[in-house]
Amino acid sequence: MNIAFKLNGKKTSVTIPEDITLLTMLREHLNLTGTKQGCEIGECGACSVLLDGKLVNSCLVLAPQVEGREVVTIEGIRGLDGGPNDLQQNFIDHGAIQCGYCTPGMILASEALLSAHLKPSRSEIREALSGNLCRCTGYQQIVDAVEATAKSRNLQSEGQKNNG
Amino acid sequence: MDKKTKIVGEPSKRVDALEKVLGTARYIGDYKVPGMLYARVLRSSHPHSKIVSLDISKAEKVPGVRAVITCQDFVNNGCFGRFMNDQFILAYKKVRYAGEGIAAVAADTPEAAYQGILAIECILEPLPILSDMERALDPDAPQVGPDRVDGVHPNLVVHNIVHKGEPLELIQDCPVQLERKYHTPHQDHAYLETEGALAIPFSDGSLTIYSTDQSPFINQSILMQVLGLPQTKIRVIQPVIGGSFGGKNDLSYQTSAQVAALALKTGQPVRMTFSREESTIAGYMRDAMNMYVRIGADQDGTLRALSFLGILDSGAYASGSYLTTWRACIHATGAYRFDAAHVDLKSVYTNNGYSGAFRGYGNTEVCFAIEQAIDELADRLGIDPIEFRLKNCLKLGDTTPHGHTLKESVGLTECIEKVRALSDWDAKRKAFSKHNQTSSSLRKGLGVAIFFHGVSLGAEGVDNASSTIQVNGDYTISLSSGLTDYGQGSRTVYTLIAAEELGVNPDRIIMYRPDTDTSISSGPTVASRATVVGGNAARLAAQNLAKIINLAAADILHCRPDQLQRVGESFIGPDEEPVSWEMVIQHARQMGLILSNQSKWEAPQIDWNFETGQGIPYYAYHYGAQVAEVEVDLDTGKILVKDIWAAHDAGRVIFPQGAAGQLYGGIAQGIGYALMEEVIYDDGYLQNLNFNEYTIPTACDVPDIHGCFVETDNPIGPYGAKNIAEPAMVPTAPAVLNAVAHATGQRIYEIPASLEKVLLMRDLQRPAQHNLPNHKFLVTRQKILKVQ
Repeated sequence: MNIAFKLNGKKTSVTIPEDITLLTMLREHLNLTGTKQGCEIGECGACSVLLDGKLVNSCLVLAPQVEGREVVTIEGIRGLDGGPNDLQQNFIDHGAIQCGYCTPGMILASEALLSAHLKPSRSEIREALSGNLCRCTGYQQIVDAVEATAKSRNLQSEGQKNNG
Repeated sequence: MDKKTKIVGEPSKRVDALEKVLGTARYIGDYKVPGMLYARVLRSSHPHSKIVSLDISKAEKVPGVRAVITCQDFVNNGCFGRFMNDQFILAYKKVRYAGEGIAAVAADTPEAAYQGILAIECILEPLPILSDMERALDPDAPQVGPDRVDGVHPNLVVHNIVHKGEPLELIQDCPVQLERKYHTPHQDHAYLETEGALAIPFSDGSLTIYSTDQSPFINQSILMQVLGLPQTKIRVIQPVIGGSFGGKNDLSYQTSAQVAALALKTGQPVRMTFSREESTIAGYMRDAMNMYVRIGADQDGTLRALSFLGILDSGAYASGSYLTTWRACIHATGAYRFDAAHVDLKSVYTNNGYSGAFRGYGNTEVCFAIEQAIDELADRLGIDPIEFRLKNCLKLGDTTPHGHTLKESVGLTECIEKVRALSDWDAKRKAFSKHNQTSSSLRKGLGVAIFFHGVSLGAEGVDNASSTIQVNGDYTISLSSGLTDYGQGSRTVYTLIAAEELGVNPDRIIMYRPDTDTSISSGPTVASRATVVGGNAARLAAQNLAKIINLAAADILHCRPDQLQRVGESFIGPDEEPVSWEMVIQHARQMGLILSNQSKWEAPQIDWNFETGQGIPYYAYHYGAQVAEVEVDLDTGKILVKDIWAAHDAGRVIFPQGAAGQLYGGIAQGIGYALMEEVIYDDGYLQNLNFNEYTIPTACDVPDIHGCFVETDNPIGPYGAKNIAEPAMVPTAPAVLNAVAHATGQRIYEIPASLEKVLLMRDLQRPAQHNLPNHKFLVTRQKILKVQ
C-alpha cells in the first residue's frame, strides 16, 4: 500500500506492506536508521519518534496509522545550520552520551517534554524520560542536559517577550 | 604526580558525541550492503539434551534460503573457548542450555530465513537437567561439563583459593563472631543494542567482519581457528557498539563465525541481528553466587579472621567464569587486614543458561557479601559502621591477606572520610536512628560500603597494549588502539593523552575504532584496563612521535629540542618568532623524517601462586566508598534510594566528564542489582526475556548522585591514572542493603531486595512452569523425545 505523510517537515510518500510498524518503515523502507530498534514491545524507548508532536514508541505504531500525519525522527532534529540544535549541543556539553544507542530516543523524549513544559523540575524531567531506558549513563548527565536546555530556552523566550 | 598538564584532567568532550546526538552513528543493525542475506539461528528449546538427529535438507529447499550450516561446517566441529575449549559455534552432539544455537540459515529475507529454520528437522533426547549449583559437584549429578581425565568432577569449572593462616581456629577464639549465607542472582547486561554481525566475502577468499564484539582481535583469532583461515584472510572491523559491560564476548564471536561461514558458503554478505528476547536467551549473564561467610573480631573492633566459601553458577559453559572465580576470590576479603583468611571459591557447570564477564567480574558479587557481613559485625559490636571500617581498612604500608604490601597509592581512608563528610553521615545516621524508633511506617536508613578493585588483568593474563600514530597530509593526526570503545569513552581518553603529549588541539586527532588490519592486537578490552594499559600505549606512541617532530622544530628554530616551548600549537625557540604546527610538519617532511610511530606498553609482571593462594595479584588497586540513603515503606515494602554519595580513588582522572559518567552509570547498575534485577531460571528455563519482565532502573529509580574523585598517584598508570568502569558499580548494592538494614533493623541476605523480601523477609515462589515462555523467535520445531 501507499501512504503519504509529513516526515521531518517534508511531504513523503512510500509504498510498503500494510503489516509493518512505523519503526520498520523508517529503518527499512526510508533508510532512516537514527531511530533505533530496542525491545520492540514499547518498554525501552529506543525507537521513540514524535507523531503529531507527541512522543510515541514507533515499534507500537503500525505504519499505515501515520497516513496524513506528521512524524519527526532524530534526523529531523537539527539546528538552523544543519548541525546539532541547542538540546543536542547540551547533550554533548554535559556528557549525556555513552554508547549512544538510547540517545536519539532520549532527545525526542526531551523535545516532547520541553515543548509541553517550559520549566520542568529535575524530577519532572526524570518522569518524562522514564519511558526511555539508558543502561550506560545513570541518567544524571541527561537530566543535566535537558535542564540546561530548558533554562536557556526560557531565557530566550523571556527575552523575546521583553523585546516584543 | 605529573600535575602539569594542559589537556589531561581538564574539561573536554567525547570525540564520538556529535554523530550520536545526530543519530548518524552506525551500529551493526544499521549496516546494509548490496546482495546482503539475512541469517537466523535455530536455538535449543530444551536445557540439556542429546541431539539424536539433525536434518537440514528440507530447509535448504525452502524458497529464498541460500545456505544452512551446522557444527560440521567448522574446523573441529567449531570447538572454541576463551579460557577453556568447551564451547561450540553451533551445538555438537549435545545442547547444554535452552537457547543454544544448533543450526544457522542465510536467506534473501528475514522471513525466508525464519521459514528455513522451521524446516530444519532436529530431534532432541532430553538428559537430566542440572539447575541447582549446590548439587553440581555431587557424585551423581548430571554431567554438564566436558569429560575430564584428571579425576576432577566434570562439573567443576575452576577452584581458586586465597590462604593466610588458619582462620577457623582464630574465629572460634574471637569474642564476636558472625556466620552468614548470602546469595547474588544472575544479572543481565541489558545493553540497549543487542548483538549482531555482518560478514562480507571477497573473491580472494578473504572476509571482512563487522561485529558487536568487545575485543576484535579475539574474534579474529577464534574465526581463524574455527574457519581454518590464516590471519591475512580475516579482517574484523569495529562498528559503533551500543554498550557491553562485559557482555559482548562469546555470543558475538559465535555470531561472527556463523555469518562468516554462511558468507563463505554463499559468496554473499550475510548479516544477523537479534531481537531482545533472542539476545537474552542466547547470551550470557553475570554468574549467580552462594557465599558462606564466617568472620571474627575482638571486642575493641579489630577484625581478626575470615572464612569465605563460595560457589558460583557458570551455567553451561566456562566462558569468563574461569577468571571471574579468581577475581572474586582475590576480592572476597574486602579491603581489610586480617590475621588469617581463607577464601575458597568453586565455579560449576549447570544448565542455567551460561555466565561470563559482567562489570566487576566477581568483585560485585563478593563485595555484596563481605560488606554486609562487616556491617552486621559493626552493629553487633555497637560501633559506627564507618568507624569500624576506618579502623580495619587497608592503608599505605599494610599487607593484604594475599601477602601484597601496599607501598603506594592507597586512597581508601580519604575516600571513606570524604563520603562521611559529603553525606553528613554522623548527624544523619543519628537522626534516622531516632526517627526509626517512632511509629512511622516510612523508615529511613543510611548505609556505607567500601571496597578495592585490582587494576587491569593482574594474574589473569599477559597484559600489554599497542597504539599507532601518524601525521597525515592535512596535518591531522591518526591514532589507533587495539582496544575497543563500546561507549565507555576510551577513544576520548586516548585522544586527550595524544593531544597532551603532542601539544595539539584534540580536534586535530582522529582516533579510530579498532580494525585488525590497521591496529595492533592489545589483548581484550576488559577488566577496566583501557585507560591504564591502552592509555600508556597511546602516550608512548605520542611521546615517540613528539620526539621526531621536535627535531624538526629545533632545526627551524636553531636550538636544542629541550629548549623548545609551546604557545598553543606553535613552537618557539629561545630567540625566535613562533613557528606553526603546519610549518614544523612541512619542515620535518623536507628533512626526510617519518612522522609515525607504533608503540607497545607492557604492564609489570605480577606474581600469584595459584596453589598456595598467596602472592601479588594485581600491581595496583582502585579504592572507594559509597554511602546510600534510603526510605523504606513498611506498608508496601518499597525501597526508595534517595541519595548516593561516592568517593573513588581512581588515580589521576584523565577525562573528568567521562569518569563521572562511568561513576553514575555504574551506580545505576548497582541500584538495579540491589533492588530489581534477577534473571530467573526455572529448572533451566529462562523466564524473563524482555524489559517487561526483566526490569532495569529508569530515570525515576536513580537519584542525583554526588560523586568525587580522590586523586592518588598510581605510578604505573598514565599521569597516575587507575580505572573506573567496574569499580563504580561494585559497592553500590551492599551500601543500599546496609541502608535498608539501618532503616528496618532487618537484613536481607539475598538480592534483589524485592517488595516481598522487605515485607516478608522471603521471596514468593511462582509455580514451576517447566517451559520456555512462548516467544516468536523461539522455534520449537525440534522434536523432544519423552524422558524415559
